[in-house]
Amino acid sequence: NENTSTSNEVEVKTLQSTITGTVLDDTGQPLPGANVVEKGTTNGTQTDFDGNYSLNVSDGATLVFSYIGFKSTEIAVNGQSSVNATLAEDAAALDEVIVLGYSTQTRGDLTGSVASVDVSEATKAPVVNAASALQGRVSGVTVVQNATPGSPPKINIRGFGTSNNTNPLFIIDGLQTDDPFVLNSINPNDIDQMNVLKDGAAAIYGARASNGVVIITTKGGGYNMDKPVVSVDTYTGFSTVANTPDLLNAQQLGDVLYQSAINDGTAFNHPQYGNGSSAVVPSTLNGYTRVVSYDPITRGPASATVNPNGTDWIDAITRTAVIQSVAFSVANGEENSKYNLSANYLNNPGNLLETDYKIGQIRLNSEFKIGDKVRIGEHFSTAYSNSKGGGGAQYEEAIRSSPLIPLYDDNGNFAGTGAQGTGNSRSPLAQLNRQSDNFNKTVRILGDVYLSAQLMDGLTFKTTIGGTINSFNTRGFQALDPEHSEPLGVNQLTERNQDGYSWTFTNTLNYKKTFNNSKIDALVGIESVKDGVKGKVVSRTDFLFETPDFYLLNNGSGVPLVNEAFDSATSLYSLFGSATYSYGDKYFVTGTLRNDTSSRFTGDNKSATFPSVSAGWVVSKEDFMSSDSALSWFKFKGSWGQLGNQSLPASNPTINISNLNEQYGNYAIDGSSIATGAILSSVGNPNLKWETSEAINAGVELGFFDDKFNVDFEWFKITTKDLIVQDNSLISTTAIDAGAPYVNAGNVENTGFDVTLRYKDETTSGFKYGVDINFSHYKNEVTDWISEFQVGDESYRGGAVSRTQVGEAISTFFGREVIGFTDTGRFEYRDVNNDGEINDDDRTFIGSPHPDFTYGLNFNLGYKSFDLSLFLQGSQGNDIYNYNKIYTDFPTFADGNRSVRVLDSWTPINTDATLPALSSSIQNSETQPNSYFVEDGSYLRLKNVQLGYAFSDKVANSVGLDSFRVYIQGTNLLTLTGYEGFDPEIISSVTGNNLTIGVDSQVVPQSRILTLGFNLKL
Amino acid sequence: CSDDFTEQPAIGALSDAAVQNEDGVELLLIGAYSTLDGIRNNLSGNGFAASGDNWWFDVLADDAHKGSTDGDQAELFEMETYNWTTGNPYVLGKWSSTFAGVNRSNAVIALIATIEDADLTGKLAEARFLRGHFNFELQRIYGNVPYISEENYANTEFNQPNPGPIWDQIEADFQFAVDNLPATQAQSGRPSSWAAKAYLGKVHLQQSEWAPALALFEEIINDGPYALNSEFVANWESAGENSSEAVFAIQFTADDAVSYNGNIGGVLNFPNPGPFGSCCGFYQPSQDLVNAFQTDGSGLPLLDTFNQTDVANDYGKEDDEAFTLHTGPLDPRLDYTVGRRGIDYNRYGTFPGHSWIRATFSDISGPYLPAKNVYQSGDTDNQGSGAWGQQHAGINYHIIRYADVLLMGAEAAVETNDLASALTWTNLVRNRAKNMTYIQDETGEVDAANYEIEPYTAFASQDFARKAVRHERRLELSMEGHRLFDLRRWGNAASVMNEYITNESRTIPNFGTKANTVEAKHDILPIPLNAIDLSGGILQQNPGY
Repeated sequence: NENTSTSNEVEVKTLQSTITGTVLDDTGQPLPGANVVEKGTTNGTQTDFDGNYSLNVSDGATLVFSYIGFKSTEIAVNGQSSVNATLAEDAAALDEVIVLGYSTQTRGDLTGSVASVDVSEATKAPVVNAASALQGRVSGVTVVQNATPGSPPKINIRGFGTSNNTNPLFIIDGLQTDDPFVLNSINPNDIDQMNVLKDGAAAIYGARASNGVVIITTKGGGYNMDKPVVSVDTYTGFSTVANTPDLLNAQQLGDVLYQSAINDGTAFNHPQYGNGSSAVVPSTLNGYTRVVSYDPITRGPASATVNPNGTDWIDAITRTAVIQSVAFSVANGEENSKYNLSANYLNNPGNLLETDYKIGQIRLNSEFKIGDKVRIGEHFSTAYSNSKGGGGAQYEEAIRSSPLIPLYDDNGNFAGTGAQGTGNSRSPLAQLNRQSDNFNKTVRILGDVYLSAQLMDGLTFKTTIGGTINSFNTRGFQALDPEHSEPLGVNQLTERNQDGYSWTFTNTLNYKKTFNNSKIDALVGIESVKDGVKGKVVSRTDFLFETPDFYLLNNGSGVPLVNEAFDSATSLYSLFGSATYSYGDKYFVTGTLRNDTSSRFTGDNKSATFPSVSAGWVVSKEDFMSSDSALSWFKFKGSWGQLGNQSLPASNPTINISNLNEQYGNYAIDGSSIATGAILSSVGNPNLKWETSEAINAGVELGFFDDKFNVDFEWFKITTKDLIVQDNSLISTTAIDAGAPYVNAGNVENTGFDVTLRYKDETTSGFKYGVDINFSHYKNEVTDWISEFQVGDESYRGGAVSRTQVGEAISTFFGREVIGFTDTGRFEYRDVNNDGEINDDDRTFIGSPHPDFTYGLNFNLGYKSFDLSLFLQGSQGNDIYNYNKIYTDFPTFADGNRSVRVLDSWTPINTDATLPALSSSIQNSETQPNSYFVEDGSYLRLKNVQLGYAFSDKVANSVGLDSFRVYIQGTNLLTLTGYEGFDPEIISSVTGNNLTIGVDSQVVPQSRILTLGFNLKL
Repeated sequence: CSDDFTEQPAIGALSDAAVQNEDGVELLLIGAYSTLDGIRNNLSGNGFAASGDNWWFDVLADDAHKGSTDGDQAELFEMETYNWTTGNPYVLGKWSSTFAGVNRSNAVIALIATIEDADLTGKLAEARFLRGHFNFELQRIYGNVPYISEENYANTEFNQPNPGPIWDQIEADFQFAVDNLPATQAQSGRPSSWAAKAYLGKVHLQQSEWAPALALFEEIINDGPYALNSEFVANWESAGENSSEAVFAIQFTADDAVSYNGNIGGVLNFPNPGPFGSCCGFYQPSQDLVNAFQTDGSGLPLLDTFNQTDVANDYGKEDDEAFTLHTGPLDPRLDYTVGRRGIDYNRYGTFPGHSWIRATFSDISGPYLPAKNVYQSGDTDNQGSGAWGQQHAGINYHIIRYADVLLMGAEAAVETNDLASALTWTNLVRNRAKNMTYIQDETGEVDAANYEIEPYTAFASQDFARKAVRHERRLELSMEGHRLFDLRRWGNAASVMNEYITNESRTIPNFGTKANTVEAKHDILPIPLNAIDLSGGILQQNPGY
């Protein structure tokens, strides 16, 4: 009856009235930007900053109030002129708009595996690198913190599928990068959304997506705000080293050395501990000398008083560090423009003396409407940082420094190994102090400019150019070390200057159309990406003064040396498209296709195409589902996709590269002057092709009791084919000394599941609570390999500790298996091949660095003005190769200090010992890779506890503020672990090569931090 | 977007095409020479073990101790005490650096094969000489090594089996060098055809192929351009480098800044602290070696009995404890080979005793310092600079010097029962030592010790001649990285070494306690475990490991 509706329309137009009101959240706070729509029409508005709105509606209308992250509410006007609404938070946030990079989607419509970080919760902890916010917050994503100030964490999504860069592709507004250092330049307070694409849904990013994609969008203000919102967030933290190993005191070390000599059958005759029938701690270092003049180096006698208990070197080089952060932002928006301006400063000193990281950032995000159809905007950020390193090497020196050496000699100079019997470690205290004027300065500019235009109804064109420019500038001064037993003859200054750039130019056309119950969302795009870096490292020796105002290369008197110079670039050109069709908000299907052309490959391998499909079915919207059932949401989803990986540490991996090489290639062919030589420095592989991953994902989402309780379960299988590794079997020890070629070495499968459980509720008395649990499991298996196996990093004393082989997980520990002690107190190794003798053929797999599962637990409690959150995070079933035991448990450096574990060494009456019989030298190959070094690395860590108190509006307003909250927080307060090293949370691979993971060597331990902070708005 | 966008050149690199010409050959050839010092790109294993001067093989023999404290470079302590493991990074370091040399030579050989419009035979001969050298090193150290040919190189087929010796390929390379190198070279670092003949003779000698070895040495001695320096010590001074005695040497050169062309693999082998505050107290000569320099009343060595008396040593004494210099007769070459208390050390003044020794009295390293690898005071051209650069010495390492040729010739002559030649050539070496300048005491007017040396008057029998020539090699060439391979050639390494361990324990008791028995398997090093693992099982381990 068309006539009726026509007459109604007429009626609507004639009988209008103005309704005003306020939209509040369930705590009574106004909700700015909430949508108010007259039901069944397109007539609507948004609330202003105070949550107020005004709308002309027809009589008898019903208003629909909605806001992202809240449940929609419908209220009939019923002749009132004022309608206020209170919106409850929507636990499932199914209506939340998720930014997927090129496009957006509401959460309920997703068919791929997309995890979102609760940014406000995750950035409660003092987050330095935005990627840290992923730790324990989303299932399937493993994040290991790096405690070296300024160093980014290591991120792995769903197992280990590649051996090179496992970092996901980061999309930061319009910028694309896989360099996690870039995230240092993102102020965590500026982050609006952080979403992780874990499966074939990432295929839209094709060649760079196989490690997953992390999409970060930053806050941009809102249109139609009626006044600027100013926020200030600041905190001060006090950090200490969470755990240190127990080492011997001076007498204990002497006793160990004494017993070692006795066991060896040699007379005890130690330059410091004497030659009596027991070790005696000397009152001063016997025969202590230090350098008194140079050229030639002349040592002179000096005196150094020994601390009777010995020096605690770890204590001497660590401190309580004070962390400070201030962040400020102002956001506003009018009808045709909006902006968010922010600035922050962070000072994050390390627990090691003289280590430091400082960063200051400014960001401006703004957007302008030009007419109805065009929007122009930008994100622009500048960051300046300075870090002073001094990482795990100093901890290693501290572990193996003799406790007899005092920190300072009797004249107040740094003391060192200038006396016999005190080893040859460098004083870590002196080293840290001498590097205090070194710096690593970085200036980074990043951002993008975009324009989007609505070409016709439903059709939008968007062009974005984003990029980053960075400039590194470092100074490393190596000062003289007169206290050291192996002193330098001359000091040296090394400077590095390096400029890098990366840009992405993206153009997309997006068509969205709704007709009847069907929705179509289609996208096509074209993209170019280019990255490059150019720089040099120059050094010079012999500086007259060791004061920082003298540290300029032209002040050295040695010949300047160009240690390194480089200039390389890579590029990628892509075409892509996607199409989504949905019916009745119940059935969804999406397909994507991307073609990439990479400068890293040649010929037919240069270009590849990556497809994906996904589908979803919202069962709970079917008629046969009872609407009042406890099961409020029920969705199946599944996806399949192919993803690529072309991220390699080499820009030109397909060609042989020879270089003129001063260090390794030149030779004095005429006996005196140096002739220039060239060497083959890297071997190319013209047949190199993409590493591709085939990802299958199947999931179910369940919501109960109006989505108060949610369960997400996803199963996945990711098959990585043509895994790219440097082939050290091809360029082995019998080969040319060039870098090994990158080859497509084999296939790896990661199979597993991710589970997320969420419960959120509020009692009638106003007690709010929520629990969020995520749990992830993967099984990694090598299914094909070009050679029988590949060994991991060989640079450890005793050689590689891990091996990658078909049928095992990537990088499984490999060595001898210790099964007890022999009758003489040596390690007894298992005779694996039962041939009656123990040799290299008796090595076997002795542990896996891969966890059985990882998990995170997040609890939120709120009552009246108080809020409390607890965050626990852990890993279960992974092994760690505790490489530090080579120094602490064995006489690798006999006069260096040891762990208290050596007090439980084998003796004829202590046969159930931890360690073999003491000796002053390594016996029976006991430091070659073996199972003694493999420990259970499981841990459960109370990562964060925060208690906050929000002052009442009355109190806040009385001091001129809109809101005011204070909090106290503890980070890493408690760790449950059986691991005996510094810390079970380790970034395993120094080289970044995933064929060697889970090795604890020169790792900077995590900090325990107590933080006080406040958040205010005005 | 143009196609060029996804083509990004390798800036600063030489492509394969860029080096495919005469200049490219020369650049890569210099690169091959550059591995003579053992320092290579992407080294696996221990960097000091890579050293081209083979210093640590003297530690495996009876000439030297590791030096410094037992725990310093504990891996070398394990080697010295014959606690050899396949994973020891010293075993790997030498292996991996030497194969770099083999393949940098292969790179030149393979490249020359692709260039048609130039006569590069001379360059080819140099490259094959170098490959021969590197393969010879591998062969005599590891016994069973894979042969990597230039075809293997060109096809990137580096994993080859190691079924047995590769002597034939080594001889073929040196024969090509003999046939195609010029008799003189303008640049002293390049081998001449005479150097190639000497090396080919050395290769035959190591295989006990006496006749062909003798023929080559005879030709060199009779017709070649070489002569002994009048001063023994000139061989390790910058002024005497590349003199008439030099046959083929690693051209170490000290320079400013960090000396990449100095002897980086030998940086540990300076006194610590010593007369010029250097590092690190390694490579200490043994008492057994010092004893070997004793002579009898007629200036001839105590071939069988030198270990019946010990040259007086200050082991266990601090500088301020009384010490009396040895008064018995000694070969004057001793004090140019070994630094010992009471005698001038390389013109730095009198060695005061233990204060110049880093090792303690409980370590197994003894009281002596090495002299040949340490530059003389005032020889500034050989002294490097840079942060640790003073140890980057510019002293050339003689892979072959003329005295070595004479004694190799004498050895071949003895074995072919040409005792007259053996006597003549041995006495040439002894007479130079007799007629050189002896080290003086602090007054500068009196010999520092009781030096007595005379030539042999006759070799009474082949057995005596064999003993005399072998002993002469030790006196003349000790602390030059040859001794272990001499013992292996003579087939008595294990017995000599076990005797040495017993003898040395008289003065250094802990050495006897800590050293293990030397066995027949120790005649060759194990194939490095890492090499076997990376070969995917293609390489086979040597027997006994």
